[in-house]
Amino acid sequence: MSSALLAAAGPQPVIPDFGTVSSCVRDNGLFCVDWFTANFSSMFGPALVQHVRLTVIAVGVGFLIAFPLALLAHFRRRLVKPLGGLTSFLYTIPPMALFTLLVPVFGLSVLTAEIALVSYTLMVLFKSSLTGLGEVPEEVRRAGEGMGLTRREILWRIELPLALPAVISGLRVATVTTISVVEVAAFIIDQGLGSPIIQGLQSPFNTQFIGAGLLAVALALAADGLIVLVGRLLTPWARTRRTV
Amino acid sequence: MRRRTLLTGSLAVAAAAGVSTAAGSVAGTGPVITVGSKQFTESWVMGELYAQILTARGFQVVLKSNIGSADIIDRALRSHQIDLYPEYTGVILQTFAMPKSMPVTAHGTYEAAKRFEEGRGLTLLRPTPFQNRNAVAVRASDARKHGLRTVGDLRRMGRISYAEYPDNITGPLGYDAIVKAYRLSAMKVRPLNIGLQYPALKNGDVDAADVFTTDPQLRRYDFTVLEDDQAIFGFQNVSPVVRRSLVERYGSRLTEPLDAVNALLTEKAMQALNEAAAMMRLSPAKVADRFLRANDLK
Repeated sequence: MSSALLAAAGPQPVIPDFGTVSSCVRDNGLFCVDWFTANFSSMFGPALVQHVRLTVIAVGVGFLIAFPLALLAHFRRRLVKPLGGLTSFLYTIPPMALFTLLVPVFGLSVLTAEIALVSYTLMVLFKSSLTGLGEVPEEVRRAGEGMGLTRREILWRIELPLALPAVISGLRVATVTTISVVEVAAFIIDQGLGSPIIQGLQSPFNTQFIGAGLLAVALALAADGLIVLVGRLLTPWARTRRTV
Repeated sequence: MRRRTLLTGSLAVAAAAGVSTAAGSVAGTGPVITVGSKQFTESWVMGELYAQILTARGFQVVLKSNIGSADIIDRALRSHQIDLYPEYTGVILQTFAMPKSMPVTAHGTYEAAKRFEEGRGLTLLRPTPFQNRNAVAVRASDARKHGLRTVGDLRRMGRISYAEYPDNITGPLGYDAIVKAYRLSAMKVRPLNIGLQYPALKNGDVDAADVFTTDPQLRRYDFTVLEDDQAIFGFQNVSPVVRRSLVERYGSRLTEPLDAVNALLTEKAMQALNEAAAMMRLSPAKVADRFLRANDLK
């Protein structure tokens, strides 16, 4: 063999005994509970925690950027189109392309992943916040002015509270979307629930795909439910209005 | 232009520094080495082997597993995101160097790849005895029925379909190249993701498939690997690609442990390691740990 040319009489390796596995694992059964539970603490648990962290940072930072931009556009209407256009443009870049473009500049880092993830949250958060702020009927605002409220007071007492339901529904969409895009981030950082899925692609193993997939679905449902709950607590009047 | 390069460089370094701080998994006081690996089982296992042996020899090691394609990981190495990673000698030539003609021996391939990398401020350490090459496989029953021995014998089967992963249809190891080299005009391509070609071949969805010689999935089924007598698949031993400046700085302290591991990676050994990781689903870290201990390297 020509490969022997390179292996100039090297030492012979000792191949260790790697033990045995269940027939479900060896035959790639649909879902091997034994393997899933055995690997939860080393594979799925940490991936889930990373997934939550990546999502919370992306949506949090995204909101801190998008909400002030929406406020700005609310007061300076001529900014609505350019800002809306910019956030929509960012939203249309395919995730894989954006991740790859950012790697030479920011490295194979969490920072690269977060820059991309944040830019995908901006459109939804910007538009929902702007819509919410604009939902206040003109006559209500004029009534406020008639009562002697300043522009700032109208914002704080009338516009922001009325904007909350729209902002919260924007947060729900952004969070659920981010939870699914974080899976793609595993192409550049070895984190999140996409990591076991990508690792399983080369030698397919059903339990790994289904386990990570189910956890991502459960996470999306839980996060959505949590935001709905917090939203209800923050807007008690909305509930009253609904029940009346 | 120059300013831009400097800016990009410093940002990349800042980002890399941020990552290694954030990872926080490094212990001890030795020099820090960042090991990278590509996106498949064999590369993860090798990345773990390199990382664990270097840790055992007093380096602080950050392992960045799962880095994109050959292009992405090469860019990561040249922008100092990683310090070394395992690469296939033939891939270096076929993907980056692209010479007019390929060397006809494993040794020639290694030497040409090393020369090319040294021209870019990088170098190759000693290669593994094993190779992981692309190959064409058919069902053993078809091989018997039609007397198939070489890839060219596929002509006897008439109109057949060939499973190929999407990245490898047009390249030098791809479907087009095989059709041309072996004059297989009646063979149609069926693009399938890596990993799916094995069940597709077994189930008769395709009649031949591009497979990898060290993939344990290959041994799960009753397949025959056809001889590549036109030598279009090249030679694919593995060698750590590393920046030359690092070799100059650390000398044998860095190269000796990596050479020692590579020397043990015969085809049989690598197949066993891949099987433990891919079929028995042990983590690459555990597989590497057991192998290093069994060979008194840890």
